[in-house]
Amino acid sequence: MPPRVTFQPCGWQQNQDTPLSSEYDFALVNIGRLEAVSGLSRVQLLRPGSLLKFIPEEIMIHGRDFRLLRVGFEAGGLEPQAFQVTMAIVQARAQSNPAQQYSGITLSKAGQGSGSRKPPVPLMETAEDWETERKKQAARGWRVSTVNERFDVATSLPRYFWVPNRILDSEVRRAFGHFHQGRGPRLSWHHPGGSDLLRCGGFYTASDPNKEDIRAVESMLQAGHSDVVLVDTMDELPSLADVQLAHLRLRALCLPDSSVAEDKWLSALEGTRWLDYIRACLRKASDISVLVTSRVRSVILQERGDRDLNGLLSSLVQLLSAPEARTLFGFQSLVQREWVAAGHPFLTRLGGTGASEEAPVFLLFLDCVWQLLQQFPADFEFSEFFLLALHDSVRVPDTLTFLRNTPWERGKQSGQLNSYTQVYTPGYSQPPAGNSLNLQLSVWDWDLRYSNAQILQFQNPGYDPEHCPDSWLTRPQPSFMIPGPPSSVWLFSRGALTPLNQLCPWRDSPSLLAVSSRWLPRPAISSESLADQEWGLPSHWGACPLPPGLLLPGYLGPQIRFWRRCYLRGRPEVQMGLSSPTISGLQDELSHLQELLRKWTPRISPEVHSKKRDPHTILNPTEIVGILKGQLHPFWITRC
Amino acid sequence: MLGKGVVGGGGGTKAPKPSFVSYVRPEEIHTNEKEVTEKEVTLHLLPGEQLLCEASTVLKYVQEDSCQHGVYGRLVCTDFKIAFLGDDESALDNDETQFKNKVVGENDITLHCVDQIYGVFDEKKKTLFGQLKKYPEKLIIHCKDLRVFQFCLRYTKEEEVKRIVSGIIHHTQAPKLLKRLFLFSYATAAQNNTVTDPKNHTVMFDTLKDWCWELERTKGNMKYKAVSVNEGYKVCERLPAHFVVPTPLPEENVQRFQGHGIPIWCWSCHNGSALLKMSALPKEQDDGILQIQKSFLDGVYKTIHRPPYEIVKTEDLSSNFLSLQEIQTAYSKFKQLFLIDNSTEFWDTDIKWFSLLESSSWLDIIRRCLKKAIEITECMEAQNMNVLLLEENASDLCCLISSLVQLMMDPHCRTRIGFQSLIQKEWVMGGHCFLDRCNHLRQNDKEEVPVFLLFLDCVWQLVHQHPPAFEFTETYLTVLSDSLYIPIFSTFFFNSPHQKDTNMGREGQDTQSKPLNLLTVWDWSVQFEPKAQTLLKNPLYVEKPKLDKGQRKGMRFKHQRQLSLPLTQSKSSPKRGFFREETDHLIKNLLGKRISKLINSSDELQDNFREFYDSWHSKPTDYHGLLLPHIEGPEIKVWAQRYLRWIPEAQILGGGRVATMSKLLEMMEEVQSLQEKIDERHHSQQAPQAEAPCLLRNSARLSSLFPFALLQRHSSKPVLPTSGWKALGDEDDLAKREDEFVDLGDV
Repeated sequence: MPPRVTFQPCGWQQNQDTPLSSEYDFALVNIGRLEAVSGLSRVQLLRPGSLLKFIPEEIMIHGRDFRLLRVGFEAGGLEPQAFQVTMAIVQARAQSNPAQQYSGITLSKAGQGSGSRKPPVPLMETAEDWETERKKQAARGWRVSTVNERFDVATSLPRYFWVPNRILDSEVRRAFGHFHQGRGPRLSWHHPGGSDLLRCGGFYTASDPNKEDIRAVESMLQAGHSDVVLVDTMDELPSLADVQLAHLRLRALCLPDSSVAEDKWLSALEGTRWLDYIRACLRKASDISVLVTSRVRSVILQERGDRDLNGLLSSLVQLLSAPEARTLFGFQSLVQREWVAAGHPFLTRLGGTGASEEAPVFLLFLDCVWQLLQQFPADFEFSEFFLLALHDSVRVPDTLTFLRNTPWERGKQSGQLNSYTQVYTPGYSQPPAGNSLNLQLSVWDWDLRYSNAQILQFQNPGYDPEHCPDSWLTRPQPSFMIPGPPSSVWLFSRGALTPLNQLCPWRDSPSLLAVSSRWLPRPAISSESLADQEWGLPSHWGACPLPPGLLLPGYLGPQIRFWRRCYLRGRPEVQMGLSSPTISGLQDELSHLQELLRKWTPRISPEVHSKKRDPHTILNPTEIVGILKGQLHPFWITRC
Repeated sequence: MLGKGVVGGGGGTKAPKPSFVSYVRPEEIHTNEKEVTEKEVTLHLLPGEQLLCEASTVLKYVQEDSCQHGVYGRLVCTDFKIAFLGDDESALDNDETQFKNKVVGENDITLHCVDQIYGVFDEKKKTLFGQLKKYPEKLIIHCKDLRVFQFCLRYTKEEEVKRIVSGIIHHTQAPKLLKRLFLFSYATAAQNNTVTDPKNHTVMFDTLKDWCWELERTKGNMKYKAVSVNEGYKVCERLPAHFVVPTPLPEENVQRFQGHGIPIWCWSCHNGSALLKMSALPKEQDDGILQIQKSFLDGVYKTIHRPPYEIVKTEDLSSNFLSLQEIQTAYSKFKQLFLIDNSTEFWDTDIKWFSLLESSSWLDIIRRCLKKAIEITECMEAQNMNVLLLEENASDLCCLISSLVQLMMDPHCRTRIGFQSLIQKEWVMGGHCFLDRCNHLRQNDKEEVPVFLLFLDCVWQLVHQHPPAFEFTETYLTVLSDSLYIPIFSTFFFNSPHQKDTNMGREGQDTQSKPLNLLTVWDWSVQFEPKAQTLLKNPLYVEKPKLDKGQRKGMRFKHQRQLSLPLTQSKSSPKRGFFREETDHLIKNLLGKRISKLINSSDELQDNFREFYDSWHSKPTDYHGLLLPHIEGPEIKVWAQRYLRWIPEAQILGGGRVATMSKLLEMMEEVQSLQEKIDERHHSQQAPQAEAPCLLRNSARLSSLFPFALLQRHSSKPVLPTSGWKALGDEDDLAKREDEFVDLGDV
């Protein structure tokens, strides 16, 4: 078993339907604070290595994921064990090395349980996965490049990615060398209207490309489009240090004993700046979505490292623009593609390798998604519970998904790359041969830690797929057909577009992106700028209607909300008040009624919707009376 | 925020920044003028309404997508409203106008709804009042329902500008006599065609029977009696003609100090404890009178202190609680967050949204009111005590707290009829001075305190936290708050029932004609079509099952179903797997730390409060039982629908609660049709089919501001770069931008 603290409630073993429990399970890395309590006044904060000064009546484990586990020992004379258990946790924390905590699960049950699974989420580790996804997006101008198959272009890149059709692999290799850490431009998402969303790292300004290299770089960035908008993703968004600081403050604020007075709560919340950063992300993602979908411009997201905010923005843009990304399956694939496969350094960012460079960018992303869920409750197939489960899974040491920094490391660990590389990993023993099932386990194997009833709750009962009509996929995009002036390049920065003379920084002017932009609140629009502005967009871009399926999120102060089900879970008074949504109760009743009708009318096809419109339902009155007498479903309802 | 235009010019060397610029070129005016003449919009006048003045070629700015443009039309002022008649109304299709108010149109401002009027002179914004020497080129009207109208008068004839501006200022701001309220002209003119809604069962509490009925309903008739001692307002003009006092209290006592110092019954709890209110005795200097007062009070207390009466706890709301001044200050700060002249202001304030919100302390006042109500609820429910609310006139905070307590304790008050009856009982008959508190007559600005609005905001918090417990929706509360300013309903336009009766001619001998028949706001059909009224009703609300026996079989069938709805749902359901059940022990221990922050002192009383509050919240909610709000910091929220509905930036297209609502209604419909089918088989006769609410069905994507601010809906232009597009080359421009960055830091 990987290092963790687990509490097993009595009787849990008997009716256990998951190999691991999600509720009382705390990975050692997840422990943010450990307190031993005796009586009402004696509280000791236990740091790794500290000595327990008394026999605790109970211990409180504050999770870094805002959960709280309290274990009481007082009942049943468990004092001796109490001391042992507590000290064991303290020692284990002192010794644990988060980087190597993963040791694979050796549970035969894991494989069995997943027999009746839905189509698994593609892990984007094979060329087939990429090809399937490319076809799904109908990205005809693109192909899967195998140039990084041996991770020799960049270890942080996936083995496969999408590049323009016309670009040869040699050109890809040539061009990628001029980007920071070899992360050249790749396709993230193809909009059915014709525009593309690309992402890439910063230009490697120290390099001295020759003409051919520049041509390769330019054609990769341009990818056959006449108008291209370059977006500096670091501009206007918080730095990694900002994110980390905000998250620490948020955690401090949400501790059950935080000392903020109730009437100062709002300003304390504002002081964490967490919500500010969320709005900045949503605002930028919303602007980019409009560019990509409504204006049908190709957008290149550029971030120096291309591993943090690019992933966040690219995922948000897809959530806003592509209805399929809002399904449960689509969202998981999205995270797998834009975060896991794209090499977001999960381990470092979540504090697995030491304090520096820690920044919960992914958690910031999840909060952004939650905001969207709040604002558009009918547009997402997954529920808040799913986001919570995902939120709680980032530090769970059972699957490799979030425990490695790069696809290379992940692949190395799971043993796929033995044929390519020979790397000595100290302290790590190869998993027993033949246990290949374990290698496939990812965080998306929810039945590992969540019961079926819980997984059912991942579905949003209010999801109304009619909201995203399929028709828009085939809708012609006339504005795209209008030929623009020869190749124009724009820089989108601080909420405004500026024309760029060229895409690459090397030719005559100093690099635009070399100028580091600090995150600033968006400047208020001065009133006189309204006059001469008149939007200022090139006339040939035209005014386009909002495409159906595009969500434009609100990002004003009053619209950004605080995710209390997540952050205030450690506070019992909040836990208590969370009532389940009534809509799921209705759904239950609906399905029950339908089932009743189905039982009584065998000749009607199982199609649910035909049911209610069929007037010829035959019912046996005595049967109904029997049902009425005592077998009513608990969610029976009267007339509205 | 306010007066920004004035502040903006303080640069000194540079020319003052123009804050208000017309972005319409003269050519456009002409084209628009033609349209105006083609499409003459007629002015709809209510019965008795008279046109006072008007001006043509007025440009009304439409705020949309952060750039302003305008619509030309006529600006008129009647004795009921200010109305703008432009041609933009025709742009709405039928689908969107379903929630139209029949009395007040989208571009209508009733005279009582006007809050402040500003004029713009040479790009400087000034408050307008009294006689003007100079007439502004632009008129900005801030409304009490938080709409902001901007009218450009630059293209209007000078004569007309003078007439309309001075007309509007006079009719909205000059002190008025009660008899001059439009209410009376309307009632006189509409004498014959006022139809009262037959389905309206709101108890008005204007007869002895109503009070007896209420006593019986709450089982308070054992210890309390309804009296008519004040019939004809012989005793006092503050009190209603009929009210309820403790049974042993002699009626002469009531007359002694004109009803002061008398415990008046508000409501009885199921356990027999009651909520009482008392207006304080007049403050006297003279020792002799004080002595008399003291012995009088002793006598009164003696009657209610001995059995069968419970122990009385006196709650003095005049001291140790909110002052009206605080409420007034907080609200005037708070509302400025939403009264926005242009998007610039909006973005300016948006950066510091939470701290601005907090510094207004409006939310904190709401929290304090809710907390006080919970405390009183605890006394009555847990300690079985009577609570006596004490206030100078027992007509402001008394109304607020006593209504909140009843709302929390009495499920009947959470139905629409019950809620309306509650307002009728505690506010209208309780003598809340609506006329003064809303400053309807513009006689004394200092008296204007939004106590009733504060109450509605508290109710909104409850509705927001426990939606299934209420038969009405937040939209209901919003339109109710709007109705405060519509002077065709008598409900909110009198200071006391006495004032109403004397002015209606029912009591006066001088009128020879029959008494006027005034409308009440509870007749919602006056304002809304039946279809629009469905939005006022919570589709998920289920009435409390009535436990009477011997009913028809069919009835029992229905009743069974009612019982099984998730009334007592949720907290213990297995669905809460994600949020672990905590033991009582944990709650007590941990909560102590938290709650102690809610409470400044930690005496026994507060311990009781805490225990009561905690234990209620740790149990599953019975929506038909006691209902307590959460009052922690993160739980008190901004009533977004009321306050943000006119701000186009705040709208989320296709999002918000409406999105779930349409799905929900669809499902309800399906459930209903399935049930009807089962009923049909069971009874073999057709059950009466309720009309399905299909208001939300037609349009696929509504905005989060639905059903308000429909105008903004057809803005199909996506907001891209909010600050547009500028060549970087311009150095001057860059320098200016730098300045703005610096300025921003100071905001």
